[in-house]
Amino acid sequence: MLFLNQLINGLHIGSIYALIALGYTMVYGIVKLINFAHGDIIMVGAYVSLILITDAHVPFYLAVPVTMAFCALLGVLIERLAYKPLRSAPRISALITAIGVSMFLQNLAQQIFTATPRPYPTVFTVAPIVIGKLSINFLTVLTVSVSIVLMIALQAFVRLTKTGKAMRAVSEDMGAAQLMGINVNNTISITFAIGSALAAIGAILYSLNYPLISPTMGSLPGLKAFIAAVFGGIGILPGAMIGGFVMGIAESLTKGFISTQLPDAVVYGILIVMLLVKPAGLLGKRTSEKV
Amino acid sequence: MKMNKRFKACLLNLIAIVAVYFTFSLLINSGTLTRYHRNIIFTICINIIMAVSLNLTTGMLGELALGHAGFMAVGAFTSAIITKAWGISTVISFPVALIAGGLLAAFFGLVIGIPALRLKGDYLAIITLGFGEIIRVIIINLPITGATKGLSGIAKLTSFNYVYIIMVLIIASLFTLGRSRHGRAIISIRENDIAAESTGIPIFKYKLFAFTLAAFFAGVAGGLYAHQQGTINAATFDYNKSIDYLVMVVLGGMGSITGSIISAVVLSMLPEYLRDLTALINDLLPAIKITDPRMLIYSLMLVLMMIFRPKGLLGTAEFSLLNLWDFIVRHVKRFASLITRHLPERKKAITMPEVPKYDYANLDLPVLETKQLGIRFGGLQAAKDVNIKLMDNEIVGLIGPNGAGKTTIFNMLTGVYKPTSGDIVLLGKSIVGSPTYHITANGIARTFQNIRLFKSMTVIENIKVAFQTRMHYTPMEGIIRAPRYSREERGIDIRARELLSVFGMEDVADTPADSLPYGQQRKLEICRALASNPKVLLLDEPAAGMNPKETEELMNTIKIIRNRFSVAILLIEHDMKLVMGICERIYVLNYGNIIAEGTPDEIAHNQEVVAAYLGTAAEESKEESATC
Repeated sequence: MLFLNQLINGLHIGSIYALIALGYTMVYGIVKLINFAHGDIIMVGAYVSLILITDAHVPFYLAVPVTMAFCALLGVLIERLAYKPLRSAPRISALITAIGVSMFLQNLAQQIFTATPRPYPTVFTVAPIVIGKLSINFLTVLTVSVSIVLMIALQAFVRLTKTGKAMRAVSEDMGAAQLMGINVNNTISITFAIGSALAAIGAILYSLNYPLISPTMGSLPGLKAFIAAVFGGIGILPGAMIGGFVMGIAESLTKGFISTQLPDAVVYGILIVMLLVKPAGLLGKRTSEKV
Repeated sequence: MKMNKRFKACLLNLIAIVAVYFTFSLLINSGTLTRYHRNIIFTICINIIMAVSLNLTTGMLGELALGHAGFMAVGAFTSAIITKAWGISTVISFPVALIAGGLLAAFFGLVIGIPALRLKGDYLAIITLGFGEIIRVIIINLPITGATKGLSGIAKLTSFNYVYIIMVLIIASLFTLGRSRHGRAIISIRENDIAAESTGIPIFKYKLFAFTLAAFFAGVAGGLYAHQQGTINAATFDYNKSIDYLVMVVLGGMGSITGSIISAVVLSMLPEYLRDLTALINDLLPAIKITDPRMLIYSLMLVLMMIFRPKGLLGTAEFSLLNLWDFIVRHVKRFASLITRHLPERKKAITMPEVPKYDYANLDLPVLETKQLGIRFGGLQAAKDVNIKLMDNEIVGLIGPNGAGKTTIFNMLTGVYKPTSGDIVLLGKSIVGSPTYHITANGIARTFQNIRLFKSMTVIENIKVAFQTRMHYTPMEGIIRAPRYSREERGIDIRARELLSVFGMEDVADTPADSLPYGQQRKLEICRALASNPKVLLLDEPAAGMNPKETEELMNTIKIIRNRFSVAILLIEHDMKLVMGICERIYVLNYGNIIAEGTPDEIAHNQEVVAAYLGTAAEESKEESATC
């Protein structure tokens, strides 16, 4: 029973990781950049929704789309201002820029909101669903189902729409896509917007589960989600989803059965083993340079 | 004149190092600098060690590593445990502890490097990040390292003497290493790993060496840090700390040691200056009360710096006191004569790189032979039953339509691909399964279809990399500039310049390879291949992109090479004039199979060949086939 409970907890947190990991993987797929600032979008999303709900008394169902729009805009803004000028620069420079943006967002939040954590309101007061001895929180059901629906929607978007096709083309070969008449800049902006909007939902779901908001709250889920993305094969959407669930479940099982000190080590350990066995991640294909 | 310049540079650096030492020693001993300032100086020195050592992996080797703080933690805890437990005079125990910390960190570097360095780029970054974090979690969970509480009460043994001298030693050794054959090997991997391996560099060994050495230095820095702070906690050494050091390296310019030093100094002092700035702003504008915006400004500067100088402060260039000096001298001419009148020319000992002896007795046997060679990529049979023979001193052509599998055969011959069937015999021995660098050392050198030079290295350095296999001095001899280092380096310098003069390129010896015109880049690649003294030279489309005149020249060059270096040449080429003009025999490849073999004349009249090229009936005129 404990095992099942931990498994459900793992699914809960794992689906949040998966949502965030999608943003990492989309951005990496298209501009080959580890967007270190993605984790801090979560933090921004948490604060924005917190202010909307508690200070502005906006109803929850309205706060969600507004937060999404805000984060999407922020994501696009960051890309245009900080990453775009570096598109042809060495990749490590872009990486350092991403780190700089991440630090900037954290410290800006610290200036505005101070370092003291703020509590997140409880939105849902629905009784847990009880099946036999097993009780499942409404929040868990909501989180897992919202995540799965969004993942399927995203997958359909990327597979079936014209914009999705453009995204795949740009990620495959930016130069060729441009020559085929695809507006590369807009496509990249859309990618950042979608990734950041998903992070906003991830942020709200995360905050509902861990209701304490602080300027540095984004780094840990950000890092875990990033590991999930690499685990599944960075750049590959289904990989990020699987990676998110694996990481969440591994973390929760370690907490439940081994030690509360070790989940991070186990998560990294799983990643290392995966990369040693499959150097490009679970679903990644190893591309070797043509000689 | 050249010796004089180097001497001048050394002298200037030495004077600067000693001057800085005495200035700060005096200031510290006289009490002018407070403990607060002293601590900042120590921190700067430790940060410099961390930055320059990370620069070895990330800058010189070009591999992004995100776990450097983990090695620092290993060194910090190891040395602290030793000095705490060992009740011996600290004059002995502290240096021993520092070295032990470095060695254990190096051991971790080795253990982590063996699996991790098989990955590249971002994946290597992630896996080192993972290992770094695991080190931290282990330390937090071990009783001997004080678990979550960490260690406290560590004797504050780090003094200016220790930290400054160790820093200078580490910087100097990285400089000398960078200019030895080992440093060249490491940099060549950054520039082009495939070419490096084909030039005879065991790339994995060198990656591991650089990674382990960097870990050693980080471990020593950790020891200094522990004995500066007095208390250490594993939580300090998380990936954010690794990233701090990475920022120093990238801001300074990857591969530039002086760049790392400058940015480590600036970034270590910046928070202190920004602190004053904060106070000033709050005084002037009490309305907008800001709480310590140091990190905000720092992060903003980081982003702006990267946008406006994406290659960092110095790029890969080094700041040199000599250049600064020369700059001053040029403006104040009268100082010049004071320094330059030294040093009579001495006779220098020289060791020439030995010419490898290929032990094969029978000249009638082929130098290179493939037997039923084949390779399959998944469902695609890219080459099948390929039998090629290459006699000593022969020029043989390998032709065929695009996609016939010509380069695939080269890749199998050089060990880049492992054949799935058949055998390759070089000088009587099978080389299937040998690593590329090993095959190169045993007598096969190659050029590439798309030029692969070590672009940011100079022309002569490109060639020196290829002498690597025939030099013997160890990394240590390179670092301390032992006699053997000097003898061998002088020897290859002469040989490399000789080789360049054969190709008429002695004038461009000291220009960066990527500033050469296209034709010379092709020549340089051939030159580099010859520097490893091969028995068999593989040329992959040497005339690609050349105009008729250049092709003409190339034909002569190839003949000269064959006569002068007594090597057998196998060449892939689409220019039929060249192929027909210089090849003694030709193999024709189509869909991975040899469809014809013979003299140029025979091939030109072979119906199957003509059909393969033109895809029509064999009646097409052979002149047309000659233009393919």
